[in-house]
Amino acid sequence: MSLPADELLIAIALIAYTLGALALLVYFFSRTPWLVKVGAPLAIAGCAAQFIQLVVRYETTHVWPLLNLYGSLSLFTAMSVAIFIGFAFRYRLWFAGGFVLALAAIFLAYAVTWYEGTMPPVPSLQSYWAKIHVPIVVSSYAAFLVAFVFSCIYLIKYYGERSVAGVEPRAAVARWLAALPSLPQLDVIVYRAVAIGLPLISVGIITGAMWAKEAWGAYWQWDPKETAALFSWIIYLAYMHLHTRHAWRGLRTSWVSVIGFLSIIFCYLGVNIWISGLHSYKI
Amino acid sequence: MVSGISLSSLSTANLAGLINAVPVELNGLAPIARAILRLNFDNIYHSPWYVGIIGLILISLGVCTFKRVIPARLPPLRPVTVDKIPLHDTFEVEASAPSVRRRLAELLSARGWRIRERLFGGVEWSFADRHDWARRGVLVAHSGFVIIAAGTTLYWARGFAGEFAVVTGQMQQVERTHALIRLDDFAYKISPIMTKSGMVYQPVDYVSKVTVTGNDGVAKRYTVRVNHPINVDGTLYYQASYGFGMRFRVTHYGQVDPSLSARTLLEGDSFDLPGTQRSVLYERFAPTIDRQSGMPTADPRVNNPAVVLGASQAGNTLGEALVPLGQAIDLGGGWRVVPKQYVLYSGFQYRNDPGVPLVGIGAFVLLAGLIISFYFLPARLYLRVDEITPGRARVGAAATTVKGYDVFADEFGRVAAALRGELGTPAAIE
Repeated sequence: MSLPADELLIAIALIAYTLGALALLVYFFSRTPWLVKVGAPLAIAGCAAQFIQLVVRYETTHVWPLLNLYGSLSLFTAMSVAIFIGFAFRYRLWFAGGFVLALAAIFLAYAVTWYEGTMPPVPSLQSYWAKIHVPIVVSSYAAFLVAFVFSCIYLIKYYGERSVAGVEPRAAVARWLAALPSLPQLDVIVYRAVAIGLPLISVGIITGAMWAKEAWGAYWQWDPKETAALFSWIIYLAYMHLHTRHAWRGLRTSWVSVIGFLSIIFCYLGVNIWISGLHSYKI
Repeated sequence: MVSGISLSSLSTANLAGLINAVPVELNGLAPIARAILRLNFDNIYHSPWYVGIIGLILISLGVCTFKRVIPARLPPLRPVTVDKIPLHDTFEVEASAPSVRRRLAELLSARGWRIRERLFGGVEWSFADRHDWARRGVLVAHSGFVIIAAGTTLYWARGFAGEFAVVTGQMQQVERTHALIRLDDFAYKISPIMTKSGMVYQPVDYVSKVTVTGNDGVAKRYTVRVNHPINVDGTLYYQASYGFGMRFRVTHYGQVDPSLSARTLLEGDSFDLPGTQRSVLYERFAPTIDRQSGMPTADPRVNNPAVVLGASQAGNTLGEALVPLGQAIDLGGGWRVVPKQYVLYSGFQYRNDPGVPLVGIGAFVLLAGLIISFYFLPARLYLRVDEITPGRARVGAAATTVKGYDVFADEFGRVAAALRGELGTPAAIE
């Protein structure tokens, strides 16, 4: 049985991310250079397949493909990988690719479970704002995913170095930890990822408010999605403010980034799936 | 207790047997209702505590701006102990101090740094700033907050909002604007779509065709859709909801009550039966009743419709019943009600918000501030050139930024290396 082009492209992306994640996860622990030459092209191929899939889906259905959880999660994973690829090339960070690709594969596989075929959009989603607000917000989530991954690596390195300090049998672990970028370097990477995500989510909230004004007559109605987005925004704003304080920069701000991403996941998936409101667009 | 009787048990329309049933006790909720009213939870955005919180946030923002942001972001030019700053470099050059200072200024100016020189205690310092203007990014962002707050305050003080419903063919005067709105037609479109999980009835369009008479007294026709509000005299009208109005045939011992039978009830409306303490509530419209089970289906398109009626006695709920259109329900005491004809009504929201331009400007300023803060890195180089011996000078350079040292470490290394390289050749200086 032949698959439609968009489903085939999603399958390609899913396979590419899974294999790429495996290659780069092994690279993370072994530092065998040729694994990057396997993982990086797979990441790029999967990402390209996803963007092509979104275009194909739009061209064949003439329905903006981001209006349900399947479509928005698809863009979320594609943007996560795209932002990571940009970071990886700019700052030589392929060692972290396994985590990003693994998360992308998990989210994409989860997206597929929400695929229900093509649906016309409900009236409130029939707006040019859908082409502005949704990609911006989803891209901010993607940037926060990248920040989350590097925050976790920061925390692994921080606590790992403390636990192996002066313990000889763990010298191999210590050498492996030392091969990671320094803690300040990891902190700067997290900061740069958040510095992409925070303006995007700010624009996303503002464009969302403008859309809400047009559709529902009010900028803000304390809908669960709005409240959760504001909460996440405040967490990342706190991150930025705390990052200016020397005592908070690094360990504490990494924890804030982790908490921020958990709040993003709640805002994105928790609100859409579990809580009914104005943003309960699942299928 | 009869509340919560399922529709299945009442699918045969007869409420008479429920009239003397035990009433539902709601009095226990009265303290909660009073608390909601006293705390202004029924009108949160105008409540003192909400306005108080906004005021506290703005005060906090103001204090933070003047106590922390301005001193940290706009530091005065002052001498530093070079080797106590984490980003520093010291090297010696075969040249006189004045010529080194001049050459440093030229080199850094050529790289986009703004040079200022000051004398402190007889020691000449050079300060080089990059993206100095961007130090005000946080102030710009904070200003955006204040402007947004001003815009929302303007709405709070001068704006208004409300909602109303109009039945097809009828006219309504909007309370606050005095505009007359007649609903000429309302239509909705629902597409049944078979998905992998089953049939989904996807709403696709809600359209109200209205004739509006505004302040100029001229009736104009408009089409109102979701995402496409209309603007009448500065007030926006939005498509908010729709429903099914219902006309009932109400009889008492076979005699038609002309007053009750002439009314069109919207979902949620009720009427009292004259001479009794009984009320009948038109709870909701059920567009499609399954012909076999007699129960409402998920299909929102009208096909074999019914209404859900509730009955109460002296304010106490007695029960509810599903009554197909055209069938009578016995309410006791000789009263019978027949749901006769449905008519669509359209629900609108309206809003007059004079603060919109300010909020828009504030949002733009806030974003501009965030972008300036995040994507520009103001940095300052502190440069001190001391003459060690005639023709030989020591250069001390240190750097600070508004975002700490790590973020600038690589770049400072490159700048310092470039300065060393350029100044290292005496011929290049003299």
